[in-house]
Amino acid sequence: MTLFLTALFAGLAVGSVYGLIALSYTVVFSSTSIFNIAQGDLMMAGVLMSYFCLDRWHLPQIVTLLAVIVFVVALSLLEERVAVRPFLKRPGLGGLGWFIATLAFSLIIETAAADIYGQNPVAAIPGPFSGTVSIAGVRVADNFILAFAAMIVVMIALELFYKRSWLGTAMRGVAEDREVASLRGIDALRISRLAFIIAGLVTALAAFVVAPIVSANVSVGLTYGLKGFIALAAGGFGSLRGCVLGGLLLGIGEQMFDLYVNSNYEILAGLILILLILAVKPTGIFGTRAVREV
Amino acid sequence: MVARLGLNNRSSARWAVPVALIIVLYLLPQLFGGGQFRVGEYEEVLSFLIIAVALNIAMGYGGQYILGITAVFAVGAYAAVLAAKYHPQDVGLVAMCVVAAIAGAVSGLIIGLPALRVGGFYLALVSLFAAMAIPAVATQWNFVGADTGIPLYAVLGFAPKINGESLYVIVVTLVLLATLFSWALVHSRIGHRFVALETSEQLASSIGISAYRTKLVAILISSTMAGAAGGLYVYSQQFFAPGSSSVNLAILLLAGLVIGGTGTIIGPLIGAALILGINQFFTSFQNYNGIVFGVILLLFAVFLPDGLMARIEVLSERLGIRPAPGDGPAAARTGAARAGAAPAGATQAAPAPDGGGRSLDSRSVEAAIAALPPWPPIIGAADDSPLIIEGAGRRFGGVTALADLDLTVERGTVHGLIGSNGSGKTTLLNLISGFYSLDAGQIRIGANRIDTAPAHAVARAGIARTFQAPKLMLRETAVENVIPAVELRVRCLGAESLLRLPRGIAANRRAREESLEVLESLGLHKILGQTASTLPHGTRRMVELARAIALRPSFLLLDEPAAGLSHAELELLTAVIRHLAECGVGILLIEHNVPMVLSVASQVTALHQGNLLFRGTPDELRADTSVASAFLGIDEPLEASS
Repeated sequence: MTLFLTALFAGLAVGSVYGLIALSYTVVFSSTSIFNIAQGDLMMAGVLMSYFCLDRWHLPQIVTLLAVIVFVVALSLLEERVAVRPFLKRPGLGGLGWFIATLAFSLIIETAAADIYGQNPVAAIPGPFSGTVSIAGVRVADNFILAFAAMIVVMIALELFYKRSWLGTAMRGVAEDREVASLRGIDALRISRLAFIIAGLVTALAAFVVAPIVSANVSVGLTYGLKGFIALAAGGFGSLRGCVLGGLLLGIGEQMFDLYVNSNYEILAGLILILLILAVKPTGIFGTRAVREV
Repeated sequence: MVARLGLNNRSSARWAVPVALIIVLYLLPQLFGGGQFRVGEYEEVLSFLIIAVALNIAMGYGGQYILGITAVFAVGAYAAVLAAKYHPQDVGLVAMCVVAAIAGAVSGLIIGLPALRVGGFYLALVSLFAAMAIPAVATQWNFVGADTGIPLYAVLGFAPKINGESLYVIVVTLVLLATLFSWALVHSRIGHRFVALETSEQLASSIGISAYRTKLVAILISSTMAGAAGGLYVYSQQFFAPGSSSVNLAILLLAGLVIGGTGTIIGPLIGAALILGINQFFTSFQNYNGIVFGVILLLFAVFLPDGLMARIEVLSERLGIRPAPGDGPAAARTGAARAGAAPAGATQAAPAPDGGGRSLDSRSVEAAIAALPPWPPIIGAADDSPLIIEGAGRRFGGVTALADLDLTVERGTVHGLIGSNGSGKTTLLNLISGFYSLDAGQIRIGANRIDTAPAHAVARAGIARTFQAPKLMLRETAVENVIPAVELRVRCLGAESLLRLPRGIAANRRAREESLEVLESLGLHKILGQTASTLPHGTRRMVELARAIALRPSFLLLDEPAAGLSHAELELLTAVIRHLAECGVGILLIEHNVPMVLSVASQVTALHQGNLLFRGTPDELRADTSVASAFLGIDEPLEASS
């Protein structure tokens, strides 16, 4: 039972990482119809920044948080400018061109991060808290709880933003019909930039809270990116709650796979989950419409 | 025939570059140093080139982004390694490639099949995840040699019969054969279906092509080929380890394809050879390769989405090595047009000097009308039941697009459908075509329900259509746009067409000839070989009409066919509609040009906000005031205002 609970809490923590990435995908996708595969590497760039601030430069946590936010949002905006906007301006520009562009951007960040980090062994990154709490007889790291709480807070904040604010409604409207949106005076390009700023904020926050969980392992950005996608696909495209649920499902699923099947083949858990979801309910648990057109 | 197609226009210089490349490829060890190790490295890269060709078939032509195809390659390679390990005496190159190809096909299906249910970038991501997962699993799996892999040179009794220079020659030859295969495939009816599907799923199903089956075929063919490449890799390298196939390889291959030019035959080879060659042989700055390749890939994706081949073709046209498009159908897939194809042809649609622009004047229209050949229905002609729509209803969210509509299209008549924008006309067409499902009611041909059938089955039941915004394969010539429609009824197996078996050759030729005939009957003889992206809007409509006619349907649904036509084209269109009806085709005509509708239709239905507003003959409509007031806000009969 203790083993089970330990795995469960670890799963919640790792699942929060996937869920946060899935949330940032959704922010971008819901107003640009673009799936930004670089999201995982953007997060790892933030984690790397955390590592430099805390481990190398010994800056305080709050300064680190600010530095990560500035850095990730800047990268996110850069990506929007060079890899996304050209495709929004010329919608006829061949099929999945944007996919290739964001994948290329992801490759650039990942290689650059690996070069900057160098051959150093993967270092642990201290979190804002260092203690543990006891839940049902199991010691759970504060940082696990922080990651989970951050995901829930981000989800609620985004939900309120989309439902209650004019801007949020406009951002969803753009995705549904670019032409109609522009007729109503909504500038699709400005909305796209805004989406990348918000996604950058989510990613930066994610990077800061998950840094102690994922460590300075800079070569795994694409892996996290792909797992975030699985979380998204499992939960249902376009649904914020789906992101959270899908993330937790994958995170806990992986930990249970480790515990009851074989921890060597953990990566299969994700593959099995996505194949099952696609076979049984392609729209995901909370999804209502299939994402066909690209 | 040859002269008509302008085949003799080809210049021999066109072949110089590929031939030179092939010679260099064979002589690589002599030119750049041999040595067993070096030749092994060449062979490694060459095996990867086969994956590039495979990926190009699925992605460049079929539009299926199975980016993680290296997963399939890895599965094939492991199958070959295991075959060699457990039957060292029995397996040779052929056996290993066959085993690998089968394993590849199976794994490609597993990875691809569920993603087919969603499509688009799902396939890209799921396959990339598989490309990451399979080596990761292998790392932990002792059965396949875990981290270090299984070295075949250490397997007792395994002695490859082919080695040294002869192996190198065989590897090069296999790469060339794979390329040749991809050429033959693309220029067969299977390839035609791929391109139709890549252009638009709706277009494909409107001419009876099953999108699902075509995707499946694309994925099967490319994963079989990628699997076989795994077998070849293992045979030449005598080794396979998790590190041999990583996600990085998948990304490098993608970069090669994009840089060389997806959807061209040799572009991917050149691009992949460049990228993989640099990666393999310039190891000094390997740390930064990812950045360099990433930047190059990004630049190409944004600025040169058609890749290097398009540039080379444009260049060779300027130098006069190749005929410019418009000179004849031989210029099918050439450069200038292709370069303009990506941005919907809108910006670079300058007509070519000879065949471009409006191709009809009033004299040639009269001649064309007089010479229209009979086009009696072939598909669905077995019975002569009408197309019946009964109580059809469809809602989108809270909006009722169509409510409880009854409508019958008799064969041999024109049924006009008019109404303002948003009145439900196009919704009705999409319901009949099977693009939308009905919320209520049914659609039948006689007693046979078609509303429950998938879209391609509706076309196969004899219902052709055109689209409000013409859907053409913009990179293809006019005649190539019509060919797949004819191929629906000129039966032969895909394999026969691909392998150029007698029946296949005959069918290929007949499809082309019939396509040319329909286009010529519509007065389009000047633009037969012109790339669709360079055609003006009105001409595109006429090409689309030709495609629909070429299907030889029993029913034809026309969605605003007159929009954007010149006066001469409109005159021809009107005559063609009458002619088709006389031949026995039942026509449902959506059109805003009311006088034109009234001149050809025997029945007219007017819709207003999804409801039936009027039904009757043109004369009754002319006398009716309700339609005019709904459309124009005036209380006079329509005829007076129009």
